[in-house]
Amino acid sequence: MANASGSRHVPKLRLQVTYGVMAALTILFIGRLISLQIIQGEYYRELADENRFTNVNLAAPRGVIYDRNDFQLVNNIPSYNVYITAAYLPDSEAEQELIFERISELTGVPIDQEGPPAAPCVPGRGIKQLVLEGRTNRPYDPWPIACDVDVTAARVLREWQVDMPGVSVEAVPVREYSTGELTASLIGYMVPIPATLKDYYEAQGFDASRDKVGYAGVEGMYQDVLAGSNGRKLVEVDVAGLQIREYGSVTQPVAGNNLRLTIDTRLQDVARAALDLRIDLINTYAGERRSPLGAVIAMNPQTGEILAMVSLPAYENNRFARFIPYDYYEQLITDTRGRPLVNHAISLEQPPGSTFKMVTALGILNEGVVTPTQEIFDPGQITISNAYYPNDPGQAKAFVCWKEEGHGNISYLDAIAESCNIYFYKVGGGYPGEVEVGLGIDRVGMYARALGYGAPLGIDLIGEESGLIPDPYWKRINLGESWSTGDTYNAVTGQGFVLATPLQVLTSISTIANGGRVMWPHVVSDILDGEGNVMQHIDPCMLWDISDGVITPLENIGANCPTLPQDLRQEIIESRETTPDMNIEPWVIELAQEGMLKVVTEGTAHGRADLENISSGGKTGTGEFCDEVAREQNLCRPGNWPTHSWYAAFAPFENPEIVVVAFVYNGGEGAVTAGPVVRQILEAYFELKAVDAVTQ
Amino acid sequence: MQASTRIWRNFDIWLLAAVAVITIAGIAMIQSAIAGNESLAETVPRQTIYAVIGLAITIATTAIDYRIWSALSRPLYIITLVLLALIPLAGIVGFGSARWFNVGIVNIQPSELAKILMILIVADYLARHKNEIQRPRIIVRSLLLIAPPALLIITQPDLSTAIVIGVIWLALIWAAGVPLKHLAKLLGVMLVIILIITPFLAPYFLNEYPQQNDFKLFNRYTIMKYYQMQRLVSFFLPDPEAQYGETYNVNQARITIGSGGWFGQGYGQGTQVQLRFLKVRHTDFIFSVMAEEFGFVGATTVLLLLMFIIYRCLNAARMARDTFGALICYGVAIIIFFQGAFNIGVNLNLFPVSGLPMPFFSYGGSSLLTNLIGIGLVESVMLRHKQIQL
Repeated sequence: MANASGSRHVPKLRLQVTYGVMAALTILFIGRLISLQIIQGEYYRELADENRFTNVNLAAPRGVIYDRNDFQLVNNIPSYNVYITAAYLPDSEAEQELIFERISELTGVPIDQEGPPAAPCVPGRGIKQLVLEGRTNRPYDPWPIACDVDVTAARVLREWQVDMPGVSVEAVPVREYSTGELTASLIGYMVPIPATLKDYYEAQGFDASRDKVGYAGVEGMYQDVLAGSNGRKLVEVDVAGLQIREYGSVTQPVAGNNLRLTIDTRLQDVARAALDLRIDLINTYAGERRSPLGAVIAMNPQTGEILAMVSLPAYENNRFARFIPYDYYEQLITDTRGRPLVNHAISLEQPPGSTFKMVTALGILNEGVVTPTQEIFDPGQITISNAYYPNDPGQAKAFVCWKEEGHGNISYLDAIAESCNIYFYKVGGGYPGEVEVGLGIDRVGMYARALGYGAPLGIDLIGEESGLIPDPYWKRINLGESWSTGDTYNAVTGQGFVLATPLQVLTSISTIANGGRVMWPHVVSDILDGEGNVMQHIDPCMLWDISDGVITPLENIGANCPTLPQDLRQEIIESRETTPDMNIEPWVIELAQEGMLKVVTEGTAHGRADLENISSGGKTGTGEFCDEVAREQNLCRPGNWPTHSWYAAFAPFENPEIVVVAFVYNGGEGAVTAGPVVRQILEAYFELKAVDAVTQ
Repeated sequence: MQASTRIWRNFDIWLLAAVAVITIAGIAMIQSAIAGNESLAETVPRQTIYAVIGLAITIATTAIDYRIWSALSRPLYIITLVLLALIPLAGIVGFGSARWFNVGIVNIQPSELAKILMILIVADYLARHKNEIQRPRIIVRSLLLIAPPALLIITQPDLSTAIVIGVIWLALIWAAGVPLKHLAKLLGVMLVIILIITPFLAPYFLNEYPQQNDFKLFNRYTIMKYYQMQRLVSFFLPDPEAQYGETYNVNQARITIGSGGWFGQGYGQGTQVQLRFLKVRHTDFIFSVMAEEFGFVGATTVLLLLMFIIYRCLNAARMARDTFGALICYGVAIIIFFQGAFNIGVNLNLFPVSGLPMPFFSYGGSSLLTNLIGIGLVESVMLRHKQIQL
């Protein structure tokens, strides 16, 4: 009965089918193994290496920034961020939950909380939501869960990291601005690398997901100097991103260079306080936000070194150090009147008012329109007929002096001192019977450009504007109208279409103060290495000299300044059509200086901006303007226009060391509002100078 | 007495040797797979304990005459049902579904044990009715026999074990000699059921990865959990955009296996394993660990070893002296084959992810014990395959 060879209880055929299936699957599996391991082995080994090797981008320490007295303005401090790489989290939800709980406990980020979408690091959402974001955006890259956690939490999380696949903690250097709001508009801030520039920066070795770049001010302008260059190393990592060991050679990061600014923080502080106080006073007195902004610049007229630069309202750049908080940013950009993120000292274009008369003052003497002693009659009001309707009195236009009864007969120096409008109207635009040929708008333009108006001066900060020097051609193109004598009248007094930045007003006064040299304004004095040694001193640079009898060709501007950055030099040259340089007789400049001295000693600034013991020259400006706010209040009527307050001054008169301009938007009369601001800064400057002389 | 010692001459030493080799190799690979993971450090001693206990149980099962299980089939059936029914009450919840009993230091998974018990019960039923095997009602009744435990297992939910039970049943009625025409009818019925279900499945395939809804019939009866649906969907329609999550594990398995080459990277040296890029390394993807660290040679050896074990079980089925014994051996061969083939197929990215462990090789005490008991049963049949030695 025994049937040793055949099956007795399982049909033989069915058993054979079973064997067949087994054999088929075995062959299939072995075939698949051959395909994966032998034929495609190389390919999968590469994928395996891709898994385990990571190019680690080693962050280069960013350079720090000092002021001219080596006071540290910018520092780097570590900020600890916690990341989760979604793909490396454990599969089981229970294990994930455990990890989330531990992170939540330490960092305070809720586990599960819906919130509005926002940039990474902006709080509001729970860990689960953030992980989901990471999973849907970049599942294989670390995604920030908690930013700026405290040191203890960071250390504890690092200890636990082994048991928490997918979790990593990284120390990210962030900027600490010790002077914050005081220097924000000057120093600027850092932003994450924008998507549009990702390729550009990654080509330079930046890690777009980690590194930030300077955006405004010095941080932005000197990005390349401050950033240094990132290093690189190849490491083997495990699934949690933990670095196991290094492979091959390491390219060490090169630290960025430090900067020393020309700024004196103490003077900056004084300037800010003085300006802030004035604006506050105006607004408090008015019971409304009458003056939304203001700016102050102090500069050494001999070197072009900026000693202080204040733009109000300011912002707190420390709040941007870790991430850009949406609410704060929103608050800043919705202030369309004050525009806190803009550095008004270099970006604001407004009518310069009577400070612009110095342009005409140089021109009329240099061109021989009048002699210094020639008297012009100021009746308080003059009328010019419309050139196209000479017989229609209704078309005639009246021009008034700010002093209703007029200054009577007035000559050059007094005209400057008293800022006599009628004098400048007549000599600038011509007046039948008295000044047959005035300076004229074309020549006004030339002298304006010679003093630095109408185009950027190439300051080493981001956002400098060019202002506007109008001419008939410009008016024809932009307004479709012909130029009239009235336009020239307006232009010579810095009204009408003329626009200038505070920096340009400052430069014009500085140029007269130093005898005709247009200095390149700059804020960085030295580039330092890590040990504080000077690698490069930024030398003072004369762009052109209007009194040296030589006309510098446009392409030669800045040619003798090796430390003037090339891109800035290009900007200076390319923004001009012809050379701004002129030949102005030195005695003309001297008389202009004298006129400015008289402004302080007996003119419009007298009693407002004169210093004790120190002589100074200055020029007030009361620039009429009409903006939307004024229009709404129906203030834009002749004689009723609101005015910006300007004052620019230099001291000591004999050998100027400092030139200061103050601008207060809608600040009223120049001498009243801006004058005292400048005086306070000048006083502080000489006090500080005395203090420094003692301590050294 | 003399007979009982003499029967040991029929002991299939090759089968046990192969099982021992693959089990020990499995423990070694688990050791390598969990290296550096402290929370899994216990797995190696635990698996070793299970293996030692399992060996004792194998010998014990071998010694017991398998025919006794035939007599005990009714109590066994009731025990199975009670154990499975108790799980929702007393089981500990692990990874979303309750499958374990916590008994001292070892966790026992009743559904694993149910596999062996169902072999015994169905084999017994078919052996008793072998004379009327031609009648269709055998199919229906045997199906009714496995339905209650299978449904209890589905509700855990543990679809793959339920499928294994189904496969056991199908294998046994096939081996018992149910006429092909009945099997064809059965196939037809299953096809109709699949056709009815497919429209319900459609949303999971068409709406690119739908909301996290479980698959329910008539919005009431949960057939498949969402994650199971996802596995199916991601196998049949891998989303090229989604290079993580569902496809991550199998992609990593493929990379792990592929990077092994001819001879592997060496024990404890597999980069993808040691750096933990491969997930569920010590259970579902232990075969990939072997393939990376010992290469094509190692993987093929394990594969052939497993096939040898199955072959020896089928051989026992062929030689068994009665239908009951033959069906037991065939059933054991099929669960080892089905689970092993499916596990390797998943590792090689040929089949959808199922969570079926590799017999003897994967970490998992209940599974190891179950399979060793199965081997014990096969040996028991082997020992007594000659009528003359009764």
